[in-house]
Amino acid sequence: MNRDRRQLVLMLMPYLVGLVVLVLLPAAATMAMAFTETDLIATSRFLGAANFVELTTDPAVQAAVGNSLSYLMFSVPLRLVIAVGLALLLHRRARGSGTARAAVLLPGAVPELAYGLMWLWLLNPIQGPVNQFLLLGGEGGRTALGTLPPQWLTDPEDARAGIVLMSLFTIGETFVIVLTARLALPPEAYELAELEGARAGQVLRRVTLPLLAPVLAVLVLRDTLMSLQASFVPTLVVTNGGPPPYATTYLSLVLYQDAFEYLRYGYAAAVAALMLGLTAVAVLIQWRLLRRWASHGIVGAGAQRPGN
Amino acid sequence: MKRTLALLSLVTVLAATGVTAGCGADAEPSAEAVSLLVAGTPDELAAYRALAAAYEQAYPGTSVDLIEASSAKDLMTRVSTSIAGNAAPDLFLINYRNFGQFATKGALAPMTARLAAAGGSLHEQDFYPQAMGAFRWRGEQMCLPQNISSLAVYYNRSLFTKYQVAEPVAGWHWNDMVATAQALTRDAGGQTVKAGEPEAAGVPVAVHGLGVTPELIRLAPLIWSNGGDIVDDPAAPTRLTLDTPAARQVIQDFLELPKIGVVPSDVEVETQDLEARFAAGKLAMFVSSRRVTTAFRAITGFEWDVAPLPQYRSPANILHSDAYCMTKASTRQNAAWHFLEYALSDPGATLMAKTGRTVPSRTSVATSSAFLSPGTSPARSQIFLDTIPALRPVPTISTWPEIEDATGKILENAFYHGDPLDKVIADLDAATRPIFQRGTAAR
Repeated sequence: MNRDRRQLVLMLMPYLVGLVVLVLLPAAATMAMAFTETDLIATSRFLGAANFVELTTDPAVQAAVGNSLSYLMFSVPLRLVIAVGLALLLHRRARGSGTARAAVLLPGAVPELAYGLMWLWLLNPIQGPVNQFLLLGGEGGRTALGTLPPQWLTDPEDARAGIVLMSLFTIGETFVIVLTARLALPPEAYELAELEGARAGQVLRRVTLPLLAPVLAVLVLRDTLMSLQASFVPTLVVTNGGPPPYATTYLSLVLYQDAFEYLRYGYAAAVAALMLGLTAVAVLIQWRLLRRWASHGIVGAGAQRPGN
Repeated sequence: MKRTLALLSLVTVLAATGVTAGCGADAEPSAEAVSLLVAGTPDELAAYRALAAAYEQAYPGTSVDLIEASSAKDLMTRVSTSIAGNAAPDLFLINYRNFGQFATKGALAPMTARLAAAGGSLHEQDFYPQAMGAFRWRGEQMCLPQNISSLAVYYNRSLFTKYQVAEPVAGWHWNDMVATAQALTRDAGGQTVKAGEPEAAGVPVAVHGLGVTPELIRLAPLIWSNGGDIVDDPAAPTRLTLDTPAARQVIQDFLELPKIGVVPSDVEVETQDLEARFAAGKLAMFVSSRRVTTAFRAITGFEWDVAPLPQYRSPANILHSDAYCMTKASTRQNAAWHFLEYALSDPGATLMAKTGRTVPSRTSVATSSAFLSPGTSPARSQIFLDTIPALRPVPTISTWPEIEDATGKILENAFYHGDPLDKVIADLDAATRPIFQRGTAAR
């Protein structure tokens, strides 16, 4: 091993040690725990696949899988679209753009619990500012469109929409990455597009998005990986998994309740394994789609810079 | 490379030294130090801090390390994870409905021998037997009860006076409570609002007659009062028995409350919970245990009091009790017992009783002015003592918290969305059978 390589290994070592000790070993232990009855008090008992069999009949898990997938389906694309839109809107130096960028980043900096409690107030069905705003211009407790305002905490559909809504404001990280990627795009590509008389929509479709595509692909995968966990604090703090029985019960909440409220750590580990499996499947599907698009020159390496 | 290695080694040695030094500082408590894990509202936690301070003052050289959890569920998490991490607290306070999880795993140190030891300052007969019995597990006294509460009807006396409605009396029937609630459900102009009547359509209710949460532990005493039971065998339950005529009638009556319009809707409860609604004068009656008393003593806008729980055929009520449990893993069990002797003695129990939050489990304190507190609301605190002979516990089974959660979801849905009775009972049975099957009973 030469000097440079040794230095590289040494520099990597703290991260690798952390990865093994804090992530891989606990993950392996969790997977092993999924085959046991463990309560952290008495000695664990090997159960074979019993926990996984129980997963298939548990109504909470069944509801949570559906809820988690619907959250993933709505939250991930919406978050990305908003983050990309804001990054493209705010990448130019203009009056107030710094303040606007800070405003986009700010919700992500609020501690999760405080963020959840704030939404508990915002979504209050009668006194909450969101519904108060929606009732502006309406009469008799109805909105200006004549409809009833959403019942965020008591109607299953509205509650699920509320959880997605909460996720749409914590896009700071994605926004920063897209903003940085946009600022790094070569100005010549835009100059060329302008010379050729491309309109704004064409520049977006033919220049900006293809050049940003590799970054966006990574962000989609990352957000998918995070989304099954991201719904945890909002549901714990704001809806507690309800309206009953399981309208906003997500897998992360089932895992928490089984482990920390009912002391069923073995079963909770099986739920964790299920989450891991679902995430892997979702990522795999996206990965295959992205590769197919790349091979057709829609995204990634296949996409050509204009003028090349 | 050598310099790098030397630097890394130095950092490792320094870190190790620091860690060891830190551990050393924590690992040498004084001989009489004891750790106590409790959960509760700020008022309750303040009371435990006062108890700890009083103990330290009474016994110089001792110290109580009070560990505060944010809720009962948080407390259970902390107990299990601390036991797993070999850092169990010496004592923790837990409700009897949750203690089975720890008793069945052998995590608790039995107290029977200590209690029976000659010369000790605590004796079994010092406490109400209903509370002691709830913390017995397979013949052993596992924990010592700190309180013995039950359900009561908190009522806004000023509203009763204003609308000239008779105040509740002992022995009142469920139907009397419903009629009273109807008489007190009023709009902003003070007119009664009766759901279903044409003139009531669209009229916002300013004061609801009754507030009660749709939970199994609210239904249980009414079912017992009507001659039914909630499980097939209280000593070793295998299923709920809510399909009996006695239980069906109670559930039907209970689920009728929203249809009659005397209770706030789910949207109203989400906007402001029942406890806050009562404190704001928007509820005429509120079914709860003693725990809300401390918060209600801050009410200045109206007079309030407590009344007995209504009944069907015979008086019945449900035990609400928390106890001090000692962990088997504790290395300071003698010090922990010493603290318990103080906490449950007349001075210790008096200190907690004065907060108003608890009905003391110690008979001498429960019947003293420290609890009955003449001149302080509620004026009729005696009703908490009068109901003690009629108290029944829920079954002691390790999975009871799960059963309460599962039934709570179904009952809440049925209460606010009017599910048919047969479906509700079938759903309750289907949701709880596997949980009963997994549980271990006290017998």
